[in-house]
Amino acid sequence: MNNPDETVWLALRNINFSRAGRSILSDISLRFCSRELILLTGHNGSGKTTLLRILAGLLNPDSATIEFNGNKLTGGWRRNLGILRESCCYLHQQPYLFDGSVFDNVAYGLRRRGIDGSEIERMVAEALEATALGHLRRRHCGELSSGEKQRVAMVRAWVLTPRLLLLDEPLANMDKPSRSKCLALINQMQEDRISVVLTSHDPQQGELHISRHLHLYQGRMERKNLPAGVDRSPLPESRTRPVTYAGDKTE
Amino acid sequence: METLSEASLQALYLLFTGDRELWTIIGISFTVSLRAILFAAPFALICAFMLAYTQFPGRRLLISFFNTALSIPAVVVGLTLYMTLSRAGPLGNLRLLFTQEAMIIGQILLCFPILVAMGHSALQATDRRVWETALTLGATPLRAVITVIHETRFGLTAALVAAFGRIIAEVGSSMMVGGNILNHTRNIPTAIALETSKGSFAQGIALGLVLLLLALALNLALTSIQGKGAVSP
Repeated sequence: MNNPDETVWLALRNINFSRAGRSILSDISLRFCSRELILLTGHNGSGKTTLLRILAGLLNPDSATIEFNGNKLTGGWRRNLGILRESCCYLHQQPYLFDGSVFDNVAYGLRRRGIDGSEIERMVAEALEATALGHLRRRHCGELSSGEKQRVAMVRAWVLTPRLLLLDEPLANMDKPSRSKCLALINQMQEDRISVVLTSHDPQQGELHISRHLHLYQGRMERKNLPAGVDRSPLPESRTRPVTYAGDKTE
Repeated sequence: METLSEASLQALYLLFTGDRELWTIIGISFTVSLRAILFAAPFALICAFMLAYTQFPGRRLLISFFNTALSIPAVVVGLTLYMTLSRAGPLGNLRLLFTQEAMIIGQILLCFPILVAMGHSALQATDRRVWETALTLGATPLRAVITVIHETRFGLTAALVAAFGRIIAEVGSSMMVGGNILNHTRNIPTAIALETSKGSFAQGIALGLVLLLLALALNLALTSIQGKGAVSP
């Protein structure tokens, strides 16, 4: 078994969502502990992306209740959106990088937090170096490969150390070296006490320390046993381990 | 009657010798149109953003209204405004007829639909992921709006240039509500119309050259801004 913290910091219950009279999600309940890596699988149109967008506070469900740090939040969904947006960060399947340099993109969220400019410089430089993206620091985002864009977007989310990171098919259409680098980064996030939800069509995510496997079928949640081949070994205790890549350094 | 070449030479002479009357007309044109666009742009941007990013009853009807308003002739705006501002009109007591303020109001009415329609098109075409990415990275809704505007700046700049081009060159509204009064409400298009009707082409050509140079400068500026941008995914 993996070793996520046992304390549930966020629980969402009875999430229902429908659009144009069609039910997309029915009575979904989820709970999150720190350091958890949840694999969410499902066919196309099963509601994976919708669920992630609801968790990120980007979409309003028809009904749902939120428990945060053990307290049930009152006042309706919209009133508590701020808490979800502060705690969760969502990455699109094809992440959007703002028009600007890699540095500008990674610094975007830090600037929104009002962090001092020199501190932002240091944090961005450290994060880029730790993920072997330091050489792209001044590069315009329009000049990056799709694998580099995906990693820059992940670093942009990682530097904010959200409590929950929602990755929508992050490994789709990636070649082996890029995939390997992304997997290493996801493992690093987990070590940094970030809960990660990862959606995929493919339940085989061999290089990840998956804690739970959830499956969406026609808008309903099914808990699955971890598939064969999934790494069930405990997470390494070290939280400062540098990210290492199985693949080569060039893309 | 002057030949075209004589009139053109005379026009250049008037421009380069700093003919006071000519430059006063140019100055009025620019101050009136700049004030109109500066006043209209922020409200039009908010309107365009609301149309692109929010849902409310009558939204589609409003979009159709602004698209239709793009083709309203300046003279019809001028006529309507003339009737509204004239002594017997509902706003006659404001005594705005034949003032620069009346010209500004007319030009605001003309440029507002262009700014909204083109701004809305640009914002509508912007990737929705910009808005969501900004929010999920911790931006407040206001900061997310600024980010979306920044990412859409080329389309929005094009809307500004098109709107400014329309009002700096319009005759109908300025002639009717401004009255074409020398040193007061005579701008480039109304002066060209007047000088041409008098058979004095030199000043008309000189003013026409200024308008053409302005159009060229605006387009060069826009191309330069667009050239510096690169498309993100």
